[in-house]
Amino acid sequence: MPTETDIITGDRKTDRGFQTPEVWAKITGKAIYGIDLKLPGMLYGKILRSPHPHARIMGVDLEQARRMPGVRAALAGDELSCKPFGMVYKDELPLAIDRVRYIGDEVAAVAAIDEKIALKALEAINVDYELLPAVFDTEEAMAPGAPQLHDQHPGNLAWQRELTRGNPEAAFKTADLVVEGSFSVPQVHAAYLEPICCVADYDPYGGLTLHTAVQSPDIVRELVADVLDLPVSKVRIIGPVMGGGFGGRVYGNLKVYIISSLLAIRCGRPVRMQLTRQEEFIAGRPMIAAKIRAKLALNQDGTILARAVDLITDNGAYSAQAPWVSKTLSERNDSVYRIPNIRTTVRLVCTNKVPTGQYRAYGNQVGNFAMESLLDMAAKKLGLDPLELRLKNCVKKGEVTVHGLRINSCALSDCLQAAADEIGWHKRKPGRGYGISAAIHAGGSLVFDKNMRGASAYARLEYDGRVTLFSGEQDYGQGTHATFILIAARALGIEPDQIIIYSRDTLTSPFSIGALAMRQTTIGGKAIQLAAEKLREKIAQTAAEMLGEPVVMEGGRVRSATGKTLELSEIAADYRFQTSGLSITGEGKYVPSESAYDDTGYGNIAVAYSFAAHTAEVEVDRETGEVKIIRIVAAHDSGRILNLISARGQVYGGVTQGLGYSCQEGYLFDGGRVLNDSLADYRIPTALDVPDIMPIFIEQDDPEGPFGAKGLGEIVMVPVLGAVANAVADALGIRVTDLPITAERVYQAIVEWECEQ
Amino acid sequence: MSYQVVSNLEQVLSALKNRGENSRIIAGGTDLFLEKLPEKLLDISALAEALVIEERGGTMLIGAAVTHARAVASPLLAKKVKALTEACAQVGSPQVRNLGTLGGNVINAAPAADAAVALAALGAKAELIHYSGNTRTVEIEELYAGFNCSAIDSCQELLLRFVVNSSDSGSGSAFARLAARKSLALPLANAAAWLRVEHNCLQEVRLVVAPVKPAPTRLFKTESLLVGRPLIAESWREAAGAAMDEVEVRGSLLRCSADYRRHLIGVLVGRVLETAAGRALTAKGEA
Repeated sequence: MPTETDIITGDRKTDRGFQTPEVWAKITGKAIYGIDLKLPGMLYGKILRSPHPHARIMGVDLEQARRMPGVRAALAGDELSCKPFGMVYKDELPLAIDRVRYIGDEVAAVAAIDEKIALKALEAINVDYELLPAVFDTEEAMAPGAPQLHDQHPGNLAWQRELTRGNPEAAFKTADLVVEGSFSVPQVHAAYLEPICCVADYDPYGGLTLHTAVQSPDIVRELVADVLDLPVSKVRIIGPVMGGGFGGRVYGNLKVYIISSLLAIRCGRPVRMQLTRQEEFIAGRPMIAAKIRAKLALNQDGTILARAVDLITDNGAYSAQAPWVSKTLSERNDSVYRIPNIRTTVRLVCTNKVPTGQYRAYGNQVGNFAMESLLDMAAKKLGLDPLELRLKNCVKKGEVTVHGLRINSCALSDCLQAAADEIGWHKRKPGRGYGISAAIHAGGSLVFDKNMRGASAYARLEYDGRVTLFSGEQDYGQGTHATFILIAARALGIEPDQIIIYSRDTLTSPFSIGALAMRQTTIGGKAIQLAAEKLREKIAQTAAEMLGEPVVMEGGRVRSATGKTLELSEIAADYRFQTSGLSITGEGKYVPSESAYDDTGYGNIAVAYSFAAHTAEVEVDRETGEVKIIRIVAAHDSGRILNLISARGQVYGGVTQGLGYSCQEGYLFDGGRVLNDSLADYRIPTALDVPDIMPIFIEQDDPEGPFGAKGLGEIVMVPVLGAVANAVADALGIRVTDLPITAERVYQAIVEWECEQ
Repeated sequence: MSYQVVSNLEQVLSALKNRGENSRIIAGGTDLFLEKLPEKLLDISALAEALVIEERGGTMLIGAAVTHARAVASPLLAKKVKALTEACAQVGSPQVRNLGTLGGNVINAAPAADAAVALAALGAKAELIHYSGNTRTVEIEELYAGFNCSAIDSCQELLLRFVVNSSDSGSGSAFARLAARKSLALPLANAAAWLRVEHNCLQEVRLVVAPVKPAPTRLFKTESLLVGRPLIAESWREAAGAAMDEVEVRGSLLRCSADYRRHLIGVLVGRVLETAAGRALTAKGEA
């Protein structure tokens, strides 16, 4: 039976600006976020945290707390029998047993009938600590005789890597110019506005349900089941609307999920646990801090010959994703330009400070700051235009980079040119500084989990002719749902308002590794496309059988060769009767081919690579040091843009966060104590701080992504840091090498420069 | 809890008198709502006497319940007390400015409250009425009892309005601040100047900076150095240096170092003097 499966191409009228109804629920205040959830009989959980950066726990006395009216449970680590857990190392327990390793380490937990009583109960818990010497600086932590944090990490080295590609030594010897620099970047929090919250509900027959919004629910589900020793099918995660994630909520806060579950199991009642903003800062998982020493070798004509990086990252007390972030931080920027010789050393060091995790762009933006600064330092010495230097060396379509990334689509040189033209690179205004920076980011990792490279989705034709999509990918405000609906609408040839999507329930959604590694559109979207195409094929097949002649599906209905038409609802009804109740479904599975990824980390790591070049225009007040960002131009190659309104939103938000990273944000410590542990003192940009941001999309189809699309969500932040640093240096003639570039830092750099003259 | 919106002065005074210690005056509430609220609140944001912005016989009357946003929008204030307009435009955030009042900015007693710094430089005096009916008129700097602690007891006394002498011809004022972001950030430093010019020389100067002491800090030494000086760049440079010598500042890991704060105060002092002098000359030209 012939069927029709060709794909409708070209823009539909809504393709460039489609939003789901959830946007309106959010704007009108009707969306139900995790912090809005209440279940009948719900208890309130609270965590007692260590006030000491490093101490031995001699005893935890819960008796007084347990006897308090309204308290339903109190737990300490020594009475639990949970397995240690962790994404990279199994170095964490739900509640500490013998030792605490940072101010904020979880020691005990209570559940009570209201939050006030829970907080009172925490005060009634007596913990006997024996203080241990603590270490806060990475270099001091590596020195002989330093306090040791983990037996499994002698010398406090949580991870290290030495990597050589090509022959960097020879290149550095023969180069016309070698530039060197040292850079530092503090811990930075993703600062999603909704703090992490979870309502855990346990019933011995049905199992454990966690109501919590997390970017990667399936991974969290398996991990929670493992730690609590529950069958994975007895753990379900249902996600309310998420109040921002930005990569900081990939695994949310595992302690909160596990501790609220333990309390719910103990009490037989739902337990709600929400971090305070202070807890988010002191015991969340901020992006890793880095000290970077780097050098670059070039020829007189600007050809890059080699790059060497010596990176020290601050792990904090536990590793979370710190090794993986350190790896990306150390090497991703190597693939922006053709650099034949590489030498990289990474040391990830344990300190008695907040454990680190990750944030949008996974360290790539931190590397960008150092590497793009170095490039401008070289351009200055060589007397070359920074734009020309970048155009000369930037990676191009068809190339394989020094780490083996296969570049199948790339408009980086167009991005550089467009960003420069739009900012007025060759028509500079006096008194202003201009900076440029370029980036690559992997869209959809093939190596994050080598067995789970792709994604899957279901599409179901409802009895009324509408279509429901099921996906495990998560929308937390970035517009994934809208994009997926547009992809399905295009594949099915129906209007987007005929489609809805479910993604927030592990019971109904296909397994996914989640909203991370910029994989939603590229990989998740591809699965949606395949599922919709499969559904289209099966609809046409069913209709052809009903009519007994070949059909085509167009304009939301099916037409036969002789001109008979069938509505989708008629086809769905017929199928239902024939199958005694089933619906026509399309399963889409996208399984990218395996990567030849070797032990040195050489190989193609992703389905597609996105590119970007940003330019910054700034004014610097030489007396106060104040930096005023006038304009950011963000030119992006994310392949074909599927939903322009979402794409622009990603750029505005990501650039703004990048500006916070560049000039405002960063943890401040006094020893092991976080000083700026509130949104009053940890200063993310406010609406008034956002400058003119101009997104430009260079649209060239990627051969692999759905309808030619590639990822955008993470790369939007990457070039901001380098562009701003370079613009400030251009304005001043003096370079600031420590983030954030605050007014005081600029002033100090000027003073130091004046002293040297 | 009781919440009463009062519309005339008698009501306020009798309520304060009758309700005793746990009855407190509230206006914008932007600071009070961050703390534990008292049992009884008297809302004066509709009290006509506390909402005036007018000039009467060479004196500006500015109600304590005037919001920062309304102060910014007033052409009269912009013409007569520009430093206050500039300060009010930078308090808190747009939301805080829409609710928060000038009286609250002073009574909250934060060391670097922008409007209070400007009012002090303008030589504003506060008019207060005790529930007993007694009134007093006090300089801004005297309204501070300590760090973040006001000398006004809002359970007993109403801050009604500020009075500023606006009769001097050839005077001008200016305010400047630097903060870590454009809203919701306390200033690392701020400065305000009022000055009067005759024959192209400074005749009178009031210079106020913060955060130095618990109250906005007058720089008397620097002021006296400036009297008689011509309106040239060198005067402002010298004043900046003198101000840096005159202030004793503290630094913190959270905000900025003492050295940088001192430097900033110098820069801001130079800038507000220069701007205020320019305005004084313009005002003279117009007169």
